[in-house]
Amino acid sequence: MSRARHMLTAIGVCGSLMLLAGNSVSFYEEALPTTMNPLFSRGMVDKRTHELIFDRLFFRSAITNELKSNLVSKWQKVDNGKKIKVYLKDGIKWHDGKSFGPKDVCFTVDAMLNPKTPSPVAKTFRETLVGCEAFPKERSAVIEFVKPYHNPRERVSFSILPVHAFDSTAVSPDLDFSSRPVGTGPMKGSKGRQAVTFTAYPNGHHNPKISDMQSQEGGDPFVQVRTLLTGGVHGVVAVAPQHRPDVRASDDVALKSYDLRSWWYIALNTNKGALVRREVRQAIDYTIDRLQLRELTIGVKPDDPNSPCEFVSGPFVGSSPYYNRAIKPRPKKDAAKAAALMAQAGATEQAGRWILDGEPITLRIGMNAPLDSEAKDLLNQIGNQLQEGGFDRQVFKVSNDEWVRLAVTGRLSDQYDALIGKWSFGVVEEVNPMFHTRTAEGKGVLNIFNYSDPEVDTILGQYDAAKTDTEAQDAYHELHAYLAEELPYIFLWKLDTKSAWRNEVRNNTISPFYYFTEFDSWRL
Amino acid sequence: MKWWMRPLVRLIAAILLPLVVPALITGALWALPGDPASIICPPETCDGTEALAERFNLHRGPVFFYMQWLLAAMSLDFGRSWTLMAGTPVYEEMVSAVPMTGALVVLALVPLLTGTVTAALGWLPRFLDGIWQFFGLIPAVILALFAAAYVEISFGVTFGDWRPTAWRLVLGALVLALADGTLAGAIVGTRSVFEEEVKQRYIQVAILRGESTLSNAIPNVLPGLIGQMRGRLLTVLSGAVVVEVILKIPGLGGLLWDGTLSQDYGIVLAAAFAFSAFSGALMFVQAIAEIAIALYVRRSPAGVGEST
Amino acid sequence: MRARRERRWPYGVAAALLLLVLIVAGLSAPEFVSSPTALSGQAVGPFASPPFGTDERGIPLYEYALQGARIVAFPAAVAGAVVMMLATLAGLVRCGNLPWLDTGLQAAGEIVGALPRMVVVLVVALLLGYDQKGLLPIAVVWALLAAPAAMDEAAASAGRLGGTRFVEALRAHGFSAFRTYFIHVVWKNLRPVIVRQGAEVMMQVVFLEIALSYLALQRSTQSFTHTENLYSWATLLYQGYSWMLFVFQPIVKVAAGESEWAVWADAVWVNMTTSELDGPGVQSVLVGFVLVASVAATAQLARAAARAR
Repeated sequence: MSRARHMLTAIGVCGSLMLLAGNSVSFYEEALPTTMNPLFSRGMVDKRTHELIFDRLFFRSAITNELKSNLVSKWQKVDNGKKIKVYLKDGIKWHDGKSFGPKDVCFTVDAMLNPKTPSPVAKTFRETLVGCEAFPKERSAVIEFVKPYHNPRERVSFSILPVHAFDSTAVSPDLDFSSRPVGTGPMKGSKGRQAVTFTAYPNGHHNPKISDMQSQEGGDPFVQVRTLLTGGVHGVVAVAPQHRPDVRASDDVALKSYDLRSWWYIALNTNKGALVRREVRQAIDYTIDRLQLRELTIGVKPDDPNSPCEFVSGPFVGSSPYYNRAIKPRPKKDAAKAAALMAQAGATEQAGRWILDGEPITLRIGMNAPLDSEAKDLLNQIGNQLQEGGFDRQVFKVSNDEWVRLAVTGRLSDQYDALIGKWSFGVVEEVNPMFHTRTAEGKGVLNIFNYSDPEVDTILGQYDAAKTDTEAQDAYHELHAYLAEELPYIFLWKLDTKSAWRNEVRNNTISPFYYFTEFDSWRL
Repeated sequence: MKWWMRPLVRLIAAILLPLVVPALITGALWALPGDPASIICPPETCDGTEALAERFNLHRGPVFFYMQWLLAAMSLDFGRSWTLMAGTPVYEEMVSAVPMTGALVVLALVPLLTGTVTAALGWLPRFLDGIWQFFGLIPAVILALFAAAYVEISFGVTFGDWRPTAWRLVLGALVLALADGTLAGAIVGTRSVFEEEVKQRYIQVAILRGESTLSNAIPNVLPGLIGQMRGRLLTVLSGAVVVEVILKIPGLGGLLWDGTLSQDYGIVLAAAFAFSAFSGALMFVQAIAEIAIALYVRRSPAGVGEST
Repeated sequence: MRARRERRWPYGVAAALLLLVLIVAGLSAPEFVSSPTALSGQAVGPFASPPFGTDERGIPLYEYALQGARIVAFPAAVAGAVVMMLATLAGLVRCGNLPWLDTGLQAAGEIVGALPRMVVVLVVALLLGYDQKGLLPIAVVWALLAAPAAMDEAAASAGRLGGTRFVEALRAHGFSAFRTYFIHVVWKNLRPVIVRQGAEVMMQVVFLEIALSYLALQRSTQSFTHTENLYSWATLLYQGYSWMLFVFQPIVKVAAGESEWAVWADAVWVNMTTSELDGPGVQSVLVGFVLVASVAATAQLARAAARAR
C-alpha cells in the first residue's frame, strides 16, 4: 500500500464522517429498482427494495431458517394441504393508515390469478394457486392450491397488496402504485430517478429503528468502495471481489456475507448452428479454462484457500442439498479432449479454427452487462479462450433491462449462440423454469434458449411431484448429472456476494436472498 | 429573396418542430421489430399484453397512437412511464426534470451573455481569447468528469443537502458554457461581427454625425447575433444530455438518456417533445425578433425632413 | 503574400500527418485486445511496459488507443466529407444563379438545423439493431444535422464574394466552368470555410463517440457506437476516472488548507514512476487526454492551414 492510500484513508476518516450524521442511512445498490410493485419485480434489486416496503405472507427467518410470518398469527392445513387457512394479526396498518385484513390477502391472490394482470411473478403462482376466500369476521383467509402440498406455507410467500389501492384485480404495471407503493413493511418507500427514499413506519408488527434510508445506484465499484471508506455512504450492497481487501483492511467498515446462492453460467443455444451437436457443446466446455478465467476476471489466485468463488458442475451451489457431488467441476481446460470431441462432431481443424460443414464456427456471445462489475472483462476473456480453442466469436453486452425483458424470456434465441448470466436463488433452489420446455401454461418461463428435452421435462416433473425432500433431492441430483453431460448450460462458478456496511450501522443481519427481512433490528 | 422569407420559414419550422419530432419517434417505434406493447409486457412471460396495448393506445397502429398522444400532450398529459419509472405519470417526471435543465441552461447563459456583451463593448482583452479557445477544444465529457469527481469526493451520498445539487448545477453550467467552443464562439464571434460592421460606411458616416457606433450597428447585427445565440443555446441543450448523466443531475437530458436505454417510449416522446418545443420556441423568438428589427430598420428614420 | 503562404504549409503537413496517424492506427488496430495470461503485468507504468503502460488487467493501453482509433477514424472522416460536400454545394448554388434551389436549401437547413441533435442521435441509436450498432450511421446523422450551419456559412462567403456576379465576371474573362467554380470559387475562396467546418465536424464526431461510450460505460450497457470486442477511448477515461478521484480527494483537502501540495505531488510522482501503480488509471487518463488533444490539434491545424489569405 503506498503513501497515497495511507493519506487517503486518514483524510477520509477524519474528513467525511460528518456526512454520516443523524438517524439516516444511505447505501449503494446495484441499480435502482425497475418498479415498486412486487407483482412486476424483475431482479434482485427489486426484491430487496420490496422487502422493506411489503410483508410477504410467509418468509424464512435468516436466523433460524424457520418459516415465519409478520402478518399471520396462526395457520392450519385444510383438506390435507390442498388449502391453507391463515389467521391475521390485529393492529396492522397499511402505510396510508388503513387497516390490513383478509380481503387484502384474497385480493392479492385474485390479482395474481387474473389473466389481465401482466405479471411474470403472478405467472409462477398461477401454477399453484386456485383461489382465496376471506372471512373478515374471524380475520382469516383460506387459500386453495391446485393440489395438496406437504408444506403449503412455502407456496404462499408472496407480498401482500392493499385492496383499497386498486380499482380491480387486473393490476397493471403503469399504475401510480408502481412508484408510490403502499405496503405494511417496516419502511414507506418512494422511487425517484436518482434514488429510492424510505421512511420508517412504526406499525403493530414492525418497529424500525432507522428513521430514514436512501438507496442510490452504485456505478463504478471502485468509486463505491472509496465513498464507503471515506464515510460518504453507509453501505454497499455488493462489493466486487477485487475491492474486498480494501474493505477488510478498514477498521470502520465490516464486510458481511450475503447468501444469494448465485451461480454463473454460459447458456448455449441448442437449437442453432453447430451447438445443436452435443459434442460441440462438450468441446466448448473442455475449452474453457475456469481457473484462468477466475484469476483474470475476479482476481482469485489458483491456490487461494479462502476463494470467494467456487466452481460448480451443475445448476446448484455447492452447499445446496440438490447439488450432486458425484459430478466434479472442470477447473482446467483439456485441449486434447476438446479436439477429440470436435473430430467426433465431424469438424476439422484448419489454421487453428474449427470448420464444420465447410464453415468456421462463429459464436455470437452476449453477456448480462452488470456482471462486468463483479468479473471484470469476463465476456472478452471467455471470447479469448474460445478463439484460442478454434471458435470464432462476436461479443456483445446485453443491458440489464434487455436481459430481463428479452434474454430470460427466450426472445434473444435467434440472435445469440451463447449468453453469459447468473441466476440467484433463495432457500428454494427451483430450476424448473430454466430448463423445462416452454409451454403456454407457464412452464419454462425462464428458459433462455427455449431448450427442450423430454428427458429433462420428465425429471423436472418428478421434482414437481415430490412429496418429500428426499424425492425432490433425488430428482435434482439426476437432473444435475444429466445436464452436466447434455450441457445446455456451461456451469462456471458460484461467486460469494459480500456487502459492506460501516460500523455505525449496527445489528444489521442480512437475510439470504431478500436482504432486509430482519430490518427491524437494524440500528444506527 | 424577400426579407420576410427567412423569418416566415423559421416561424413555420418553429411550429412544426414539436410535432415532427414525436412523429418521427412514433415511426421509429413501429419500425422496430416486434409488437411495441411487448416492450412493456413480453408475451413469453406475462399475459395481458393485449390489454396493456389498449391502455397505451398501441393497439390501432402508429397514426392512432400519435394522434392520441398529441391530443393528450396538448393538455400536458404525457401518459405514464413504460419501463424506466413504471407507473409514474411522465408529466411528474417532466415537472421535476425541466427546472433542473432550465437552471442548467440559465446558469450556462450567464457566462455566455457576459462574454457576448463584454465582447460587443470591447471590454474583453483580445489576448484572453486563447484561454476561451483552449477550454473550447476540450470535450464536455472530460470537463464533466473533473466536475463529477470533485462533487463525488466532496459530498458522497448525502441526504437533503442542497449543496451537492447546487455544485452539480453550477459546475455543469460552467462545463456547458466552456466546452465545445461555446464561450469562445460567443466572445470571438460577437467581436468579429461587430468589427466587420463598424467597417461599414454607414457607421463611419454615423460617427461623423456624432452618433454612437453601437446604436447604429446593433439593429443590423442583432439578427445575426440572435441566430448565433440560438445556435449556442442548442449546443448547450444538446450537451446537457452528457453533462446531466455524468454529473447525475436529474434533468431532461438525463431523462432522455435513461428513457432511451430502457426503451421507455413514454419518457422518450415527452423528453424529445420538450427539447424540440424549446428549440422551436428559440426559433420563434428569433423569427419575431428578425421581423421586428426588419420593420424597425425599414421605417422612416425619425427626424428626417424636419431639420438638417 | 508568399511569406504567409509558406508559413501555412507546416500546419497542413502536421494536420495531414496526425490524420494519417489516426487512420493508420485505426487500420492496424487488433480485432481483440491481448488476453493477458499472467497477471504480473497489471497496471504497470509506461517505463515498465512501453509505450503507455498497461491497465489493471494487464492489457497494453496502446491497444485501447488503436481500437479507439478504429472506431472513430472512418466515421469521422465520412462525417467530415459529408459536411464539406454539402457546404461546397451551398456555396456553388449561391454562385450558380439557382435562386429556387438556394431558397429550398436555406429552408431545409433551417428545419434540420433546429432539430435537437442529441435527441435525433439517440432516436437513431434506438433504431439500430444489434448488428447495425456502430458509429457510422450516428456520424452521418450528426453530419447532416451540423451541415446547415456549414452550408449557411459557405453560402454567406460565396455571397460576400459577389455570388452570381462574381461568376459572370470570371466567365466574361473566358474561364471555363470548372475553373470558375472549382478553382476560383471553391478552392480559392470557400476552402477556409469548408475545411474548417469539415475538421470541426470530424472532431465533434470523435468527441461524440467518446461521450456516448462513456455514458454507456457509466450505465454498464453496450455502447451504441461499437461492438463489445472494441474499446473506445472512453474506456481510458473511465479507467482514469477512478484515479481522478484518487487525485482529487487530496486536492480538495489541499485547497481547504488541510494538507500540503508537496504531499499530494509526492503521491502522484510515486504513482507515475513505480511499476506497481497504486492508484489505477493514471496512465489511462493521461493517454486518453493525449488522444483527445491530438484530435483537437488536428482540427485546429487543418483550420490554420486552410485559413484565408
